[in-house]
Amino acid sequence: MSVIELENVTKIYKLGEVETRALDNVSLTIDEGEFAAIVGPSGSGKTTMLQMMGCLDKPNSGVVKVNGHSVGQLSANRQADLRREEIGFIFQFFALVPVLSAYENVELPLLLNGIAADERKRRARSLLDAVGLADRIHHRPDQLSGGQQQRVAIARALATQPSLVLADEPTANLDTANGQQAMEIMQRLNQETGTAFVFATHDDQVISFARRVIKMRDGRIVDNGR
Amino acid sequence: MALTKFWVIAYRDLVRNRRRTVLTLLAVALGMMVLILMSGMFTGVTQGALRENIRLNTGHLQLRAESYEVEKLSLLAKDLLPDSQTLAAQVQTLPQVESVAPVLWMSGILSTSRESSGVQVTGVDVTAVFHAPIRDGIVGGSYLTPDSRGQILLGSNLAEEMGIGVGQRISLAVGTSDGGLDEGIFTVAGLFDTGIPSYDQNTVVMPLAQAQTFARTGERASTLIVTLKNQEDTDSVAAALQQPGIKVLPWQELNGLFLELMQTGLGFYYMIYTIVILVVAVLIANTLLMSVFERTREMGILAALGMKGRQIMVMVLFEAMILALLGTAVGFIFGSSVVSYLAKIGIDIGNGAAAAVEGMALGNKMYPVFAPGQALVLALFLFAIVTLVSLYPARFAAKLEPVQALHTL
Ligand SMILES: Nc1ncnc2c1ncn2[C@@H]1O[C@H](COP(=O)(O)OP(=O)(O)O)[C@@H](O)[C@H]1O
Ligand SMILES: [Mg+2]
Repeated sequence: MSVIELENVTKIYKLGEVETRALDNVSLTIDEGEFAAIVGPSGSGKTTMLQMMGCLDKPNSGVVKVNGHSVGQLSANRQADLRREEIGFIFQFFALVPVLSAYENVELPLLLNGIAADERKRRARSLLDAVGLADRIHHRPDQLSGGQQQRVAIARALATQPSLVLADEPTANLDTANGQQAMEIMQRLNQETGTAFVFATHDDQVISFARRVIKMRDGRIVDNGR
Repeated sequence: MALTKFWVIAYRDLVRNRRRTVLTLLAVALGMMVLILMSGMFTGVTQGALRENIRLNTGHLQLRAESYEVEKLSLLAKDLLPDSQTLAAQVQTLPQVESVAPVLWMSGILSTSRESSGVQVTGVDVTAVFHAPIRDGIVGGSYLTPDSRGQILLGSNLAEEMGIGVGQRISLAVGTSDGGLDEGIFTVAGLFDTGIPSYDQNTVVMPLAQAQTFARTGERASTLIVTLKNQEDTDSVAAALQQPGIKVLPWQELNGLFLELMQTGLGFYYMIYTIVILVVAVLIANTLLMSVFERTREMGILAALGMKGRQIMVMVLFEAMILALLGTAVGFIFGSSVVSYLAKIGIDIGNGAAAAVEGMALGNKMYPVFAPGQALVLALFLFAIVTLVSLYPARFAAKLEPVQALHTL
């Protein structure tokens, strides 16, 4: 079963007179439980690709399917529902809500999904435990190191038990040791939960973890890793 | 519940931006204080002026001849109360009545060797309780006795303007009941300062009997001023005093012009209230908009997590409501304290300002009155308008596209 399918997706950015074809007629399928890296030089369209997969933006043409359902016709609200339930996000910057503690950050998507209190507590604690932050659950982001913040973000991305986690250069702002640790955690969680992971990266360290490497250049897929 | 968390996030965001929050709260609180102060002043001025006017000028009720017109100060027999003493005695028998004072009004011209000035001459029963403010307000010379002859009292402002002192002899001319003009020489027995500049500026007081002789009206009087122990009894007493040929005027009618003026004034105040409220509301909206701009990325993260536009909007609105509620509460507490304090000590507004309000018994000290009902309505309004205006930044936040938000890195 595929979790995400892009069919002939084109995304054009217009900045004044200048048109950029960030994605040029791209087709790609991500299956359940994959651990895939999208690689390519800066500007090749990796981030744009993740945004299409994550329903954060709409393509100019082409079809995006999540769990087999086309999302093109969905309203902003329904797309928000889809994101909340099916997709977890990890960003290059450690995108935590600054005023919430590590625990509250992980709990937030569960709250938004209307999960009961006991279950929220159980999941948030076990995820924070899984990313090695059991003793930091009440710290605010600014009281955590970059590596720790990114691990909270990983825990948060997995809280709703999504079928897919999208990570945009998750190790770009981490040192080698922290980057290694984050990747090991994601690999382990991928194996334990069966959640598919797709990374955009140009970090060899990340690429070495990937079971599939999708290569991009100038908005096109030059090797889909299959 | 997710809603609880929205409150938490809103609250913590406010705490995080402590300086901005405090400044905004201060602005809201100040706005609320201004509103309460203004409402207190207005209530104080109007209630105070009305009370003073009743005490010093109009009483709670007046009895006049059916045809009497106060603008004309007529001295014709048909326009006057025929047997004022008997009528006064009759009114006095009612248990609700505090005091009754027959008064004869006439217009006159007061002249010294140097200048002359139009005045209102008031013939009063000098023993009547109602005129106690004049007796208590004597600032030079002495009050009159019922049988003092050839003596008058002058308002201190009038005396000062015309350069008249106690003991001086002045000439006073009045129109008489038969249409003629009578002139007499009087001695200034004393000067009074009632604290109502407009009254002290043009009033000459003499004993009723002397005034009646002077104007040749016999036992007649222009009006009977009645004060009650309880203002609430006005209607029932008025009903009891109805009789043919006589009109009974309650204080509302006697102060009709003033009450009308008050309504106009109130409209003006409402306008200023609205402006103050709008200024505060725009200020908050601006603060929130700034805060939304600064947190575009945070909003983007929340949107990426699947938070809906509506939920983001609610979160921003919660911030507005916390600011509005806290600011209003603080302003309410401080505002009401200040008004309550000023209500005790009064605000000196000076003679000049008070005299400028012609025909109104305005003291030279103003006592604001804290009107809790009005203050509460204003607070609710402030809160509601601020929340309403905050819909703009809230909608702005809700409409941020997640990508757009996430791209402002
Ligand atoms: N919001 C945008 N507006 C205009 N151009 C954009 C925008 N986002 C990306 N681009 C352009 O699209 C191309 C692909 O960008 P991106 O997907 O961010 O690449 P990558 O993540 O591989 O570096 C680049 O040329 C970039 O400049
Ligand atoms: Mg990128």
